[in-house]
Amino acid sequence: MGDNKLLALDNIDLSINEGDFVSIMGSSGSGKSTLMNIIGCLDVPSSGEYHFRDNNVSTLNSNKLAELRNKDIGFVFQNFNLLPRLNAQENVVLPLLYSGKNLKERNQLAIDALESVGLKDRVHHRPNQLSGGQQQRVSIARAIAGSPKLILADEPTGALDSKTGLEIMKILNDLNAKGITIVLVTHEDDIANYGSRIIKMKDGKILEDRKNVNN
Amino acid sequence: MSITDLIYLSQKSLRSNILRSILTSLGIIIGVSSVITMISIGSGARIEVEQQIERFGSNNLIVRSQSSSNRGVSMGANSVNTLTLKDMEALKEELPAIKAIAPRVSLSTQIVANGNNWLATVTGTTNDYFDLGNWKFENGRSFEEEELASGSRVAIIGKTVQKNLFDTDSPIDEVIRINKVPFTVIGLLDAKGGTAWADLDDTVIVPLKTAKQRLVAKKFPGDQIRSMTINVRSSDLLFKTEKDVDTVMRKLHKISANGNPDFVIRNYAQFLNARQESSRVMSILLATVAGISLIVGGIGIMNIMLVTVTERTKEIGVCMSVGAKKRDILLQFLIESLMISLIGGLIGIALGLGVIFGVSEYFKWKMSLDYMSIVLSFVFSSSIGIIFGFYPARKAANLNPIDALRYE
Repeated sequence: MGDNKLLALDNIDLSINEGDFVSIMGSSGSGKSTLMNIIGCLDVPSSGEYHFRDNNVSTLNSNKLAELRNKDIGFVFQNFNLLPRLNAQENVVLPLLYSGKNLKERNQLAIDALESVGLKDRVHHRPNQLSGGQQQRVSIARAIAGSPKLILADEPTGALDSKTGLEIMKILNDLNAKGITIVLVTHEDDIANYGSRIIKMKDGKILEDRKNVNN
Repeated sequence: MSITDLIYLSQKSLRSNILRSILTSLGIIIGVSSVITMISIGSGARIEVEQQIERFGSNNLIVRSQSSSNRGVSMGANSVNTLTLKDMEALKEELPAIKAIAPRVSLSTQIVANGNNWLATVTGTTNDYFDLGNWKFENGRSFEEEELASGSRVAIIGKTVQKNLFDTDSPIDEVIRINKVPFTVIGLLDAKGGTAWADLDDTVIVPLKTAKQRLVAKKFPGDQIRSMTINVRSSDLLFKTEKDVDTVMRKLHKISANGNPDFVIRNYAQFLNARQESSRVMSILLATVAGISLIVGGIGIMNIMLVTVTERTKEIGVCMSVGAKKRDILLQFLIESLMISLIGGLIGIALGLGVIFGVSEYFKWKMSLDYMSIVLSFVFSSSIGIIFGFYPARKAANLNPIDALRYE
């Protein structure tokens, strides 16, 4: 405040390649959420540039950002963030509504996505009729329905027991194997360990950026 | 995002809060039903006035004799018929604004024909009576000059008399007995229908001279008549002529300007004006109710939509994160408030129709359902929804996706 400007991110120089599985670690206040928002095109940096594929995101307006998020980025949240009134299929269809796909196509894409996360028989269930793990799988289905290039997972296992968490990580791993870039934010070492690259952050700076040989 | 998708999403969220949605639209319900009732009362009155003109003719004054009291002493029943044919001629002569005058004598009596018996009002008059009273002939003809001059026993009857004496058979050339005097039916009048106080079709019309000689010689001796219908050349002259007739009649009957007249002038326009005026007052009242409740209803919608936007902040963030543009969010909330107001509009229309039915059944007050009023109600309620829904919708659309996602 005042003269003491707080920098959420400071002097970040980072590039992520297509097909990477990057885990970002850090305590709260480390700037990992802000970095994630910028990578996910939810926010633009106050100074500096961010390029996503062929776009200089720093210069885009809110409509263009929305379009990018819609077409190329899928989000998986800690608390699933499903719309409670909509059933699984309708939740998955949501991003396809905004991209203007026709009814038949988007329903098919939604069912395919749900099938690929093993929820073919839960298509018409509403979030409150599903377990936490199932809800997270619906949200993964929502993230992949529009065939994005990048999936951003913000503590995807944070609200799940460890067994279910592992199932979710396996799904993300499989998606990465199919060529989708994954950026994962977590504070758990064994979850971060799924990444092929681990970035540790502190006070808005990158503390450590290393290849993960265990993977 | 297509409009049907928007509507689908909107109804999902409205249905999850169905009671709230209906309560929110209460103001619109009252407003719209008032609008519909108001318009119906207005057009009902207009139609009634048109029908009255259709029935009684326009621009007519009716002058009737009335028992007068002279210096505090009632002149008694015999003095009732103070109008004469001389008065009629004098009026015609003195007042150029008068186009025609139809004199009238009348009695209520038994009509016998075809073995049937019927009590009807018999009128003795001239051919002007048909034009002035807007009577049309279903069958047959009016009187010939010769019949009027010689006092022929010919009669023209109304639909009610026909029905009771001849059922559906043609009465033309049949003989009816009025007070035992045989008359030949030469015409049948078109039906006019009833008013609240009289069946206009329950009538038999004979030449004035015939009536005076054979039916009412005692009741209307000499050139006395019961009443006359004065037709004025134009409606602008109606009220002035009413005053002039009063002046001339007072002069003829030697009654001072502030004395009690022995006649009364009825002006239908006066009655119609009063009718229109009372429905106008009613309409203004309803318009006020409608206006206030539409505004209050609109504010109610705005209020609930603001609550909804706050409640669903996180959801808005989710939609934005999966690619909703500002415009998508704006439209979704606009459509939601539009739907609330349209639901209110629909219920209001139903309620308004109920009120219209109830009032016209109960009070026998003529109300006419105007389809324009339904269209108008839709326009009203949807514009309320859009106008008052815009601010909350814009607020939703301008949310920052990160803040919205973080909102708990």
